[in-house]
Amino acid sequence: MIIHVDVITILSYTLAVVSSIIVGFILKLPLLPERPIRDSWTISLIFPTSVIALGLSAMVFELGWTGIIVGIVIGVLSALIAKYLLETILPRHTELIGDESQ
Amino acid sequence: MNEILGIIIAAVLSWINFVLIDTWFGLPEKPGVKGADVIGRDVKKRGGDLSGGFFQGNIVCSPDASAGTILGAIACYTIGIPAGGFIAALLVFIGNRLCADPGYAGTIGALTIMIIIGLSSFIGIPPEHFIVGMLLAIVTIQGLDHPRASILIGKIAKRMGRYTELN
Repeated sequence: MIIHVDVITILSYTLAVVSSIIVGFILKLPLLPERPIRDSWTISLIFPTSVIALGLSAMVFELGWTGIIVGIVIGVLSALIAKYLLETILPRHTELIGDESQ
Repeated sequence: MNEILGIIIAAVLSWINFVLIDTWFGLPEKPGVKGADVIGRDVKKRGGDLSGGFFQGNIVCSPDASAGTILGAIACYTIGIPAGGFIAALLVFIGNRLCADPGYAGTIGALTIMIIIGLSSFIGIPPEHFIVGMLLAIVTIQGLDHPRASILIGKIAKRMGRYTELN
């Protein structure tokens, strides 16, 4: 069996996502990217804030820090990263015009 | 389950997972970067389909659902479910953003393969079968015959309303 999960871990992941959405909402992140979603680079609550919350929580839990409080803290951090850090550390979208990016 | 049968089933599931997600998120519609455009037009020149060529070019140039699927399978094998799938999704998202791609296809590909691997474990297919299966699946698109694979992808793109409007 490769599924390694108990009730506390499920609750911790859920609370990480919920707290990231609540803090992201306070920070005025949109709920969803604008349509068509597949072409949108907008940082929203569902994507990528929730994905960052889940990924960071999984990393921290696997390093040995587990629990509901850790999940909530990671959720808050994820929302802050999505709002203030993500577009600083990762490149913003650039339009290809001819052969040059603008 | 028999190892060969498990790998074949895993390859089929991985193929369906990454081709449908990549097509749904518009990989055949337009090239994300110049390299994908060059690959797409070269495939067309060799008798292939332009839309399928863009698909092939895009999955070469950025980590889309194909990368999400294989990284998800590797992470589920090494770390377990669900932590492996979540970590793979975050890493693929970062890789996507570094490669001029919004990141929806790769992230969702990693999460869906985690669910598929979790469900398949109940019928005795372990994650390592998905690692081999995904390699075989990507060989059918990128390794055997580019023009024929691109024609197949073009037909799927047309069915799903994602065919390119470029010439």
